[in-house]
Amino acid sequence: MSVVRTVATGVVVQLRQMRGTPDWFLALFTAPLTTAVFVTIFLHAGRGDLTAYGVLAPALIALWQMSLQTAGELIAKDRENGSLEALLAAPAPFAALLGGRVLAVVAVSLVAFAEAWAVGWALTGSPVDVAHPWVFLLVLGLTALAMTGWAGVMACVFVLARSARTFQNSLSYPFYVLGGVLVPVSLLPTWVEWPSRLVFLSWSSDLLRDALAAGPVVGLGARLAAVVGLGAAGYVVAHGLLGRTLQRVRRTGSLAHA
Amino acid sequence: MAATTSPPDALHLESLTRVFTPRGKAPVTALDGVDLRLPAGGVHGLLGPNGAGKTTLCKIACTVLLPTSGRASVLGFDVVRDAAEVRREIGIVFGGERGLYGRLSARENLEFWCAMHGLGRRETRTRVSALLDRLGLADRADSLVETFSRGMKQRVHLARGLVADPPLLLLDEPTVGMDPVSAHDFRALVGELRTEGRTVVLTTHDMAEAESVCDTVTFVDHGRVVGTGTPGDVRGLLARGSRIRVHDVADARALAGPLDLPGVLTTHDPARRTLDVDVEGGQDVVGQVMAAILAAGHTSVTAGPPSLEEVYLGLLGTDGDGNRRGMRVGS
Ligand SMILES: Nc1ncnc2c1ncn2[C@@H]1O[C@H](COP(=O)(O)OP(=O)(O)OP(=O)(O)O)[C@@H](O)[C@H]1O
Ligand SMILES: [Mg+2]
Repeated sequence: MSVVRTVATGVVVQLRQMRGTPDWFLALFTAPLTTAVFVTIFLHAGRGDLTAYGVLAPALIALWQMSLQTAGELIAKDRENGSLEALLAAPAPFAALLGGRVLAVVAVSLVAFAEAWAVGWALTGSPVDVAHPWVFLLVLGLTALAMTGWAGVMACVFVLARSARTFQNSLSYPFYVLGGVLVPVSLLPTWVEWPSRLVFLSWSSDLLRDALAAGPVVGLGARLAAVVGLGAAGYVVAHGLLGRTLQRVRRTGSLAHA
Repeated sequence: MAATTSPPDALHLESLTRVFTPRGKAPVTALDGVDLRLPAGGVHGLLGPNGAGKTTLCKIACTVLLPTSGRASVLGFDVVRDAAEVRREIGIVFGGERGLYGRLSARENLEFWCAMHGLGRRETRTRVSALLDRLGLADRADSLVETFSRGMKQRVHLARGLVADPPLLLLDEPTVGMDPVSAHDFRALVGELRTEGRTVVLTTHDMAEAESVCDTVTFVDHGRVVGTGTPGDVRGLLARGSRIRVHDVADARALAGPLDLPGVLTTHDPARRTLDVDVEGGQDVVGQVMAAILAAGHTSVTAGPPSLEEVYLGLLGTDGDGNRRGMRVGS
């Protein structure tokens, strides 16, 4: 059965499920508020030049939150809903369905970028300039795809390790640091910078900031390759973990017991 | 002699065993070396008490659970080795309210499952409309499923099981929560499915339902098959012949004498004012008994072979030590 069609099915069914249900969109409610906090502080400190940072950070946080928390719970939700078994018994590849559904959540989370940009404009009176729009869009697209892979990893982790869900919220914060969401990782101590270079988001956030700034984006190719490579690693890990997860479900029958 | 290959069985289980090992708890043997062949075509009932292993059997047959040992094949495909083929051959309906997407309409739910079975856009549209009609959901087709009653959700489940037009349907308690009219319609639907040449494997706790739709019934208890065959066959499993029930019997003493015959056992229930007469012997004894009852002036009499419910109670109503099973009500 066609993988592409199943991915499309996943996108459609996820968007339909999210329709009219604010629970899925909480991160989109908080993003404008966080933006207001950051930008106001920067303005008050006379650092209007940092507005771009203040706008990007909340958008990246929303992307991370919605992707990992919401998308990460997809399998667990299907288990609770009692639909997981029927999904596993259907001919369509489950991985492709999951991928489509995660992709839909990630795509919706990108709205936070527009929100933050609009709030930044409202507060400073002038829109944050996007000096390299094509680079920005390209990086954003690749980031969304990489995010999808890693959210798939989290979806499996939430099923394989029950306790992971307890740490779900606090798990995000180290990644805001390692992902260079607000503070570029190059400004962090070396022992933090190193591991953060293994998090695709640190490359993405640096590239997005550079794409906003007027100067040239140096070393674009290698940095894009880093996002693509680390993103691809997410798919490989997700694929392996999903295989193990589903095998465990079939072997123990435990996933059916919510 | 020309070798005739008979069509594969709908379900073929060989020493099928399934053990659950919940973390930190003692292992549970849900299926214990089950051997069973259900031929293709017809309606096959799986009956048995709570925890007998019926759902486990269905889950193994639809590939979502692996056997611990033994083999299971569906229409000739092994559920482990040929899981992909099995999934294309079956439709499943797990009873209960869960398992649908509440935020989607009935139509959207069915469209989704069509896609999961690889149906094209046009095919999906006609199939979904036809199923919504067939299951009496057409006028609520575009309402969110979360607003549906239990029985309506149950009908969406049934439609879902049918989206792929499968030759084999596994229905695990498909009528839980249905009102009598819907349950009656369900029986008609199952009859149609049989006429269309499909195989239906049905678990139910409703003996009247099983009696009216099943071509074969299989009794399962403690993960073992304790009896299988046509409803007629399984009646023979009950160690008694005909039962004649005499109604409006306030006092059974008048009948005690005439019915004191070899192979005849009477049970009087003063509360229901019934006298049950179980006859071991052949038709001549039955005739003798009937004559005696009529001679005593009783004309309100029902007779016939034991119902499936009676067979069930006879086979499974007590545990191994002869204690009555089920809830401790009125005991
Ligand atoms: N995932 C599981 N983990 C542990 N034990 C299980 C699991 N699934 C089923 N069991 C056990 O296996 C046995 C058979 O259960 P099953 O659900 O197959 O019974 P059933 O015949 O469908 O019962 P019911 O009529 O109540 O639906 C029960 O003892 C049950 O507790
Ligand atoms: Mg059951």
